[in-house]
Amino acid sequence: MPLKLLKCDVTIPEREKHVYIKEPGEDTTQYLPISNAATIPGTLSERGCSYCGAKLVIGGVLKDTIQMIHGPVGCAYDTWHTKRYPSDNDNFQLKYVWSTNLKEKHIVFGGEKQLKQSIIEAFQEMPDIKRMFIYTTCATALIGDDPKAVAKAVEKELGDVDIFVVECPGFAGVSQSKGHHVLNMGWINEKVGTLEPTITSPYTINFIGDYNIQGDSQVLEKYFHKMGIQIIAHFTGNASYDDLRGMHRAQLNVVNCARSAGYIANELKKRYGIPRLDIDSWGFEYCQDALRKVGAFFGLEDKAEEVIAEEVAKYKEQMEWYRAGLKGKKVCIWTGGPRLWHWTKALEDDLGMTVVAMSSKFGHQEDFEKVIARGNEGTIYIDDANELEFFEVLEMVKPDLVLTGPRVGDLVKKLHLPYINGHAYHNGPYMGFEGSVNMARDMYNAIYSPLMKLAAIDVREKAALEVGV
Amino acid sequence: MSDKVEQLTKFIQEKCLWQFLSRTWDREEAISGVIKMIETLQTGGQPVIETPIDKCHYADAKVLLTDINKAFSWFGELKADQLGEVLHGAEARLKQITITGSLNGELNHQLY
Ligand code: SF4
Repeated sequence: MPLKLLKCDVTIPEREKHVYIKEPGEDTTQYLPISNAATIPGTLSERGCSYCGAKLVIGGVLKDTIQMIHGPVGCAYDTWHTKRYPSDNDNFQLKYVWSTNLKEKHIVFGGEKQLKQSIIEAFQEMPDIKRMFIYTTCATALIGDDPKAVAKAVEKELGDVDIFVVECPGFAGVSQSKGHHVLNMGWINEKVGTLEPTITSPYTINFIGDYNIQGDSQVLEKYFHKMGIQIIAHFTGNASYDDLRGMHRAQLNVVNCARSAGYIANELKKRYGIPRLDIDSWGFEYCQDALRKVGAFFGLEDKAEEVIAEEVAKYKEQMEWYRAGLKGKKVCIWTGGPRLWHWTKALEDDLGMTVVAMSSKFGHQEDFEKVIARGNEGTIYIDDANELEFFEVLEMVKPDLVLTGPRVGDLVKKLHLPYINGHAYHNGPYMGFEGSVNMARDMYNAIYSPLMKLAAIDVREKAALEVGV
Repeated sequence: MSDKVEQLTKFIQEKCLWQFLSRTWDREEAISGVIKMIETLQTGGQPVIETPIDKCHYADAKVLLTDINKAFSWFGELKADQLGEVLHGAEARLKQITITGSLNGELNHQLY
């Protein structure tokens, strides 16, 4: 079927180019939704801003770094605590939020003085912390502040601090994706190669594109360490600022989220000759493939098989139990972009579920090529879906469960459909073998919980009495 | 043979991420590199691993080959010339889908 104009979009017909339903025999040379394009005026987008893509997704994960947000306090608040990425140093990065708290007078007279004062104050308040990211936001970019110059001056003045500036205000791009890009390129240009890492193993990797959501990175780390592999830098789950300065010394880049971090993997290949191995670190079967590939790269096949055997023995039975309950259940994946293609076949192959609709906020056409290749015929694929489209699609596909973020999740809940947080998870980690079981458990609990049915009942009515409420 | 080419193409399309790397030159390198490794491994040859990129293709090919043999009983029965025909047929199809026929507007950007 060609691209599809949903009923709710008759007044914004441009949306047709963003919605696709796959028919038998079709491939991505025939139809590929437009994506990573400006949101069409009149559509109620669920996207985040470009600054958010840099700060909330990548930079804010670092466990030893002050995240100074140069702008009005709202930009800081909006990107604090909405994603749970713990760390092994008591969650420093989750406890604090830093903002230059810009006011009207700064917009009129400039905010650089305020920025300098805030940087120094933050370092003084936290004397053990010597690393900082600074982010520009819409207001400070528009007034033309020069945070790089301020950062340089402070570095000189304090002597023992290192500062990285991300110049990506909210309006810089069409979505979060621009923030990923700017941070990746800035980091490789300015910081990679500025520190030599301590090498402790003959086998070294960077693990790129995983942000330790509820402990994902720590699960993966366990497997690699058992194989005798050193992770020089985890970009950026549970990572420190200085880990990431030594990325040039890894022998292999293992890439999970190619959307948010493929850029740095490509540049590491171009500039340092480090190859890029793309894997899926979600999914019970996928995880086995991933470890086998890394094992084959280093000649550590036996070690990989040992880890796989141990983990499969531990978790296979539980996966099978959940499979029996989840088989045939219809699910929508409405997340950022890459989870569509990471999850669709994993849910189908591991658990027998059927993915009936997928929507991406900031995926590019590369992501749609992947997801359409992996996804089902009859499935609906949408770029930058709006609220009315979500409602219409729910009517069309009648899912048992929706994997999405809290914003769309709240819409879904109002229809008394269960949703699982596809960004920050319900009870993760979701990566690796144990993660696959956690995800299956959360989906099972959501689908079989009586909560949604009960929520639909008006307790004052007779029907409520009949079910004993 | 053409239905075998299509089966293998569909299988790789669903399974492998290397065909979808960011740019035309990355995709060409990966598709040719992995398919070549598969042919060598399946015919019992000694893979040529001179660069880290070769090693990466070897790792991808090794795991994929196991999966292909599991999925298609006919694959192991192909004679060398038939194997070449199927693999190069799939290679051409993959390049057509992901490179020459691709609608992805970012494929030829000079920068990442
Ligand atoms: S950077 Fe701009 S778009 Fe993003 S939160 Fe701040 S004001 Fe809003």
